[in-house]
Amino acid sequence: MARTHCRIGVMFSTTGSYSVVARSMLNGALLAFREIAEAGGTVALEPVVVNPSGDLARYRALSLELLGAGIRHVVGCYTSSSRKEVIPCFEKFDGLLWYPSHYEGFESSDNVIYTGAAPNQHVLPLVEYLASRVGTRAFCVGSNYIWAWENNRIFREALTARGGNVIAERYLSVGDTEFDQVISAILDQRPDFVFNNLIGTSAYAFFRAFRAACHGRGLDQANDIPVASCTLSEPELAEIGADAVDGHLSSSVYFSSLDSPANTAFIGAYAKAFPDGPVSSADAEASYIAVKLLAAALEQAGTDDARTVRAAVANQRLLAPQGEVRIDPQTYHAWLTPRIGRSAVNGQFEVLLEARSPIAPDPYLVQSSPRFAIAMRSPVLRVVQS
Amino acid sequence: MTSRVLQNFKGGRALVVTGRCGWEGTLETTLAKLGVSSEYPEIVDGRAQIDIGSLQVERDILFVDGDLEGAVAIEVDPVSRLPPVPVIGLVGVEAPSRLKALVNLGATSFLRKPVHGGAVYTSLFMGINQFLLRSDMYARLQDLELRRRGRRAVIRAVVLLMQQNGLDEEGAYSQLRRESMRVRQNLELYCQEFLSRRAKPPDIPGRTTSVTLQGGKKQAM
Repeated sequence: MARTHCRIGVMFSTTGSYSVVARSMLNGALLAFREIAEAGGTVALEPVVVNPSGDLARYRALSLELLGAGIRHVVGCYTSSSRKEVIPCFEKFDGLLWYPSHYEGFESSDNVIYTGAAPNQHVLPLVEYLASRVGTRAFCVGSNYIWAWENNRIFREALTARGGNVIAERYLSVGDTEFDQVISAILDQRPDFVFNNLIGTSAYAFFRAFRAACHGRGLDQANDIPVASCTLSEPELAEIGADAVDGHLSSSVYFSSLDSPANTAFIGAYAKAFPDGPVSSADAEASYIAVKLLAAALEQAGTDDARTVRAAVANQRLLAPQGEVRIDPQTYHAWLTPRIGRSAVNGQFEVLLEARSPIAPDPYLVQSSPRFAIAMRSPVLRVVQS
Repeated sequence: MTSRVLQNFKGGRALVVTGRCGWEGTLETTLAKLGVSSEYPEIVDGRAQIDIGSLQVERDILFVDGDLEGAVAIEVDPVSRLPPVPVIGLVGVEAPSRLKALVNLGATSFLRKPVHGGAVYTSLFMGINQFLLRSDMYARLQDLELRRRGRRAVIRAVVLLMQQNGLDEEGAYSQLRRESMRVRQNLELYCQEFLSRRAKPPDIPGRTTSVTLQGGKKQAM
């Protein structure tokens, strides 16, 4: 049987401040390409790999280059700012971006298939866990762009609805590693926990500096002021280093420690294919899923036309490393299985909680947020004389 | 008063007044993602068949195609300029006359045709929340207007207390304010009722002589 040849763009910033996660994403995607090639089938996929190096202008330029060369499907992007930068390109050329990362929601482009977690699959389960088991006073830190702004907003509203409050929010530029003032403010405020939306090198530096500062004040950071994230993954634990790796909470749809035949096979194949790392992550799995679903949709569609492939991917099901994954035909986001994990000294996550079955994506939080925005409480009294 | 911000549109119903041209599919599928169902009122003799009386402000949103002249006849409150439910204008021909017609219908937000899915959430968010904001502001204006009218009663009550109880202006005002707070009424309403109570009993000898009411207001006694 003749195989249809199809070139697929693969666009991850394998250099730059968040390159560790992006390299694991590239690995996840390449592993899927390899398995698809080995399995045969009617569609032969050829990955065309590009690296924007974390530069937004490069994301746009490379997207136009790929789409202009006739490529209709690109698996890529990690940050929301890069995704939003390239969406107009995909709309102009009517291509499909297969976006394989968790994100803050409130988007549903006809030219994007979202295989990472929507906010009801990461931040809301985390709020539930923290409010019921850790505390209700939060200090939020994040990288200064839309992911942290919006994820903090959702977090703040959900926590406030449970009677909690956000003491403060602090934002730093992507790649910034100067945390003295922020950490000093956290230690002065003594929140029940820190909600972290820092990414890349900023996050790793924060985890190290915060652990050291707590230690300096005689605090057991992991127990006294734990840090909770929706981004933290295994390759990042390795970057944080042994002194500060354990005791961090993470809300994710995938941990590489999951005990299932599908995950065992995935982890084994990944480690064999990429012995030099970085190790797999939730975003690597989402990239793997994206390529697998793309291949299945291409096979079913019999063409690489974006509209036809988009229609074909609706209701596609895959037994992924995290469990069953399928694409919701209304939102083109994925049904995924939320989990809460805690990092251990071995660089893995111990799974503390998990949903019984995959959860429907709710990118606009239509099913899981109040009708009216919760009014933030401002202080009744204010300091007029210090 | 702080205006509430509506952010979840689940359970909403969009009444889309347009000639079916094909682009409305994008609007409908995007609205569905936001939890809003779509209906297309029939247009008979150039008029959309909408039962205005059945519209519910908590549920309904009108999308009106500006290219359909006079398709929607809804009563906009002449003072508040508010329609009964939020109106979002669908703009095709970007001409002042058509935009003006949408503004006159009370449109608080606009969407360009053909509709782009990425613009729907913003338009819906702005349209509904601007409508709520205007409604709140109108309610505040009404309240302030009522209170402005009631200031005359405050002045009269202060004068009355000064004359009856020998209080100075500050003391009379403070007493009225204290009493209005005690009975949890705004000052203006309390003073109106205060004056009514004082004005009623004509059977107390000498009472009326101590009440100095001017001109036509005497008929209330």
